Amino acid sequence: MGNVQEYKCPCCGGAIHFDSAIQKMKCPFCDTEFEMEALQGYDEALNQEQSDEMVWDTSAGSEWGEGETNGLRTYQCQSCGGEIVGDESMAASACPYCGNPIVVTGQFSGALKPDFVIPFKLDKKAAKAGLMHHLSGKRLLPKVFKDQNHIDEIKGVYVPFWLFDTEADADIRYRATKVRTWSDKNYNYTETSYFMAGRSGSIGFTRVPVDGSTKMEDDLMESIEPFDFKEAVPFQTAYLAGYMADKYDVSAEESIARANERVKRSTEDNFKSTVTGYTSVTTEQSSVRLHDGSAKYALYPVWILNTTWNGKQYRFAMNGQNGKFVGDLPLDKKAAQTWTIGLSAVFAAAAYGVSWLLWLARII
Amino acid sequence: MKRTGSKLIGMAAAGLLAVSAFSTVVYAAEGFSSEYERFLDTAYLLSDAEQDEITELLDELSERQKMDVTIATVNNLDGYSSIEACADDLYDYCNFGYGPDRDGLMFVISMEEREWHISTCGYGITAFTDAGIQYVGGQMLDSLADGDYAQAFRTYAACCDDLIDQARAGHPFDEGDAPRKAMSPMVPLICIVIGVVLGVAVVQGMKAQLKSVRKERAAANYVRPGSMNLTGKQDLFLYSHVDRVKKETKSSSGGGGGSSTHTSSSGTKHGGGGGKF
Repeated sequence: MGNVQEYKCPCCGGAIHFDSAIQKMKCPFCDTEFEMEALQGYDEALNQEQSDEMVWDTSAGSEWGEGETNGLRTYQCQSCGGEIVGDESMAASACPYCGNPIVVTGQFSGALKPDFVIPFKLDKKAAKAGLMHHLSGKRLLPKVFKDQNHIDEIKGVYVPFWLFDTEADADIRYRATKVRTWSDKNYNYTETSYFMAGRSGSIGFTRVPVDGSTKMEDDLMESIEPFDFKEAVPFQTAYLAGYMADKYDVSAEESIARANERVKRSTEDNFKSTVTGYTSVTTEQSSVRLHDGSAKYALYPVWILNTTWNGKQYRFAMNGQNGKFVGDLPLDKKAAQTWTIGLSAVFAAAAYGVSWLLWLARII
Repeated sequence: MKRTGSKLIGMAAAGLLAVSAFSTVVYAAEGFSSEYERFLDTAYLLSDAEQDEITELLDELSERQKMDVTIATVNNLDGYSSIEACADDLYDYCNFGYGPDRDGLMFVISMEEREWHISTCGYGITAFTDAGIQYVGGQMLDSLADGDYAQAFRTYAACCDDLIDQARAGHPFDEGDAPRKAMSPMVPLICIVIGVVLGVAVVQGMKAQLKSVRKERAAANYVRPGSMNLTGKQDLFLYSHVDRVKKETKSSSGGGGGSSTHTSSSGTKHGGGGGKF
C-alpha cells in the first residue's frame, strides 16, 4: 500500500479527498474542487514554511573617553523623576517632560557614549512657528487652548535612538484573488479565482530607529520620523551645548522587538508589490530571517512642549531637523456638536435641493 | 365586414333613437356631418338625465373645438377581433369628424371584455398622442372601475378639452407631459440621512485633524535602495468560485412619443390606444 497523502483544503482547511466521479480533488466540507497540481504545489509550499529568525548584534555605543564627560551634568526632575543630561552651562531649569523644576544631581557618569548625533537644524523660533501652524486651521480645537499655551517653554532635547541595520531573507506566501464579471440575459456572474503567490528573496534595511527613552512615547517619536541620517555626525559633547539630552533607559536588546516588527512588515509590503495582476493580495504567511544585524546608538534632535489643559497633559514634538510637527490636540465637544448639526442641516438641504432638481428633470 | 359594419350601424342607430327621443337638439353646424348623437349608449350605462348631460357636454365641446369628441358604449365586441377595429368602424360608419380630415376621436368601452379604447382621426391623431390617450384613460380609470360611468365621461370630456387646447397651442400632450406624481415622502427622509452621514463624516475628518500621533506601520523609509532581490516566484491557481445574481428585469420604455397610426377597414387613417378597466 502506498502512503495515503492527505491534503488540506486551501479554502476552508478541511481534509480533502479524491472524488472519482469528477476525477478531481473535492473538499467534502465546502464543495470546492481542485486540480491535483494546485494542491500538490500548495502542500509543498506549506511544508517549506520556515519560522522567523531575528538575531542581532546589539553592541551599540562605545565607552566614553577620559575627560570627555567633564562638562556634562546630570539633572533630575523632582516631579517625574526624569533624568536628563546637559552641559554645565545649560540655562533651562524645567523638565522637558513635565515642566517641573529640575536640579543638578551631579557630574554625568555611566551610560554609553552615542555613536552619532544629528545636530539641531531648526531653532526655537522655528519650533514656535511650527506650533502656531500646528494649532491653526483646526476648527474643533478649543479656542482657549491656543491662548493658554506656554509656547516659550518649548525645549530642544536630544532623544536617544537605537538604529538597527540588517539584511533580511524572506519567504512569503500571499493569497491573491482575481475577479472576473460577466453577464447574460438573466444573471450577473462574478468569478473569484484564488491563487497562492509565493515570493522569496532578500532586502536590506539601514538605521531603523527605535526610541531608547521611556520618557518619550514611542508613537510620538515615530510620528516625527523620518530623520535624515546623511546629516548625522560622530558624537561630540559640544553638540549638547544649549540643549538637553536624554539618557537611554531602554537597552538595544529591549528595543529590537519593535525594529523586528517594522522590518517584517516592510519586507512583506515590498515583496507584495511584486505580486501583480491580481484584484487583491493579502499576506498569508511569512518567514523573515535576519542576518548581519547590527545596532548603533544615536541622538536625534527633537523640540518638545508639554501643556496641561483641563487636567490632561498634551505633548507636542517637532522633528528638529525637518520641522515635522505632531501632537494630539484636545477636542471642543460643543463645537463638534454644533458643527455636526449645522453641517448635517446644510448637507440635507443640499441633498433635498439636488433631488428636487432631479425630480424636475424627471431623473427620479 | 360589410355585414358587421351594417350591424354596428344598427347598434348605433338604436342608440341614436334611444337618445334622440329625449334630446331635441339637432346640430347642423358647419363642417360636421352629424347623423348620429355624439354619445351612443348602446350598453345603457347611464340614466336618461345623465345621457342628456353627457350629450350636451360633448356637443358643446365639439362645436367649440371644431372636433368631434364622441363616446360609445357597447355590451360586447360583437364579432370584432379587437376593440380597436370596433372603435374605428363605429367612428367611420357614424361618419363622425369635422372637416375633410374627419377631425375627432371616439371613446369606446366594451362591457363584456371590460376594455376601453380611444380611436382618433384627422387632427385627433395629432392632438391625442399615444401618451395622451393613456393619460386620458388613466384619468378615467378609477371612475370606470367603480362603475361611475357618468363621472368617467365627464372626466373624458374635460381631459379632451384640455388636450385639444394644448395641441392647438402647438404642443400636443406627449410622453413626459403627464403631471408628475408628487415626490415620494421617502425623499426628504433619505436627504436627512444623507445630510447626517455627510455631516458626521466631515466632523470626523475635522476630529482626525486633531490627531497626529500614530505609530509607524513599517520601516519603508529605511529600506536600503536597490537592496531588494527577488529570488523565487511561484504563482499557483488554487480554485475558483462563481456567484451569480439574478438581474433585475427592467421594462423597456417605448419609442420617442408621438402617435401611432393604422388604417381602419374602411380605409381611413386612425390613431388610438386603450386598455382594461
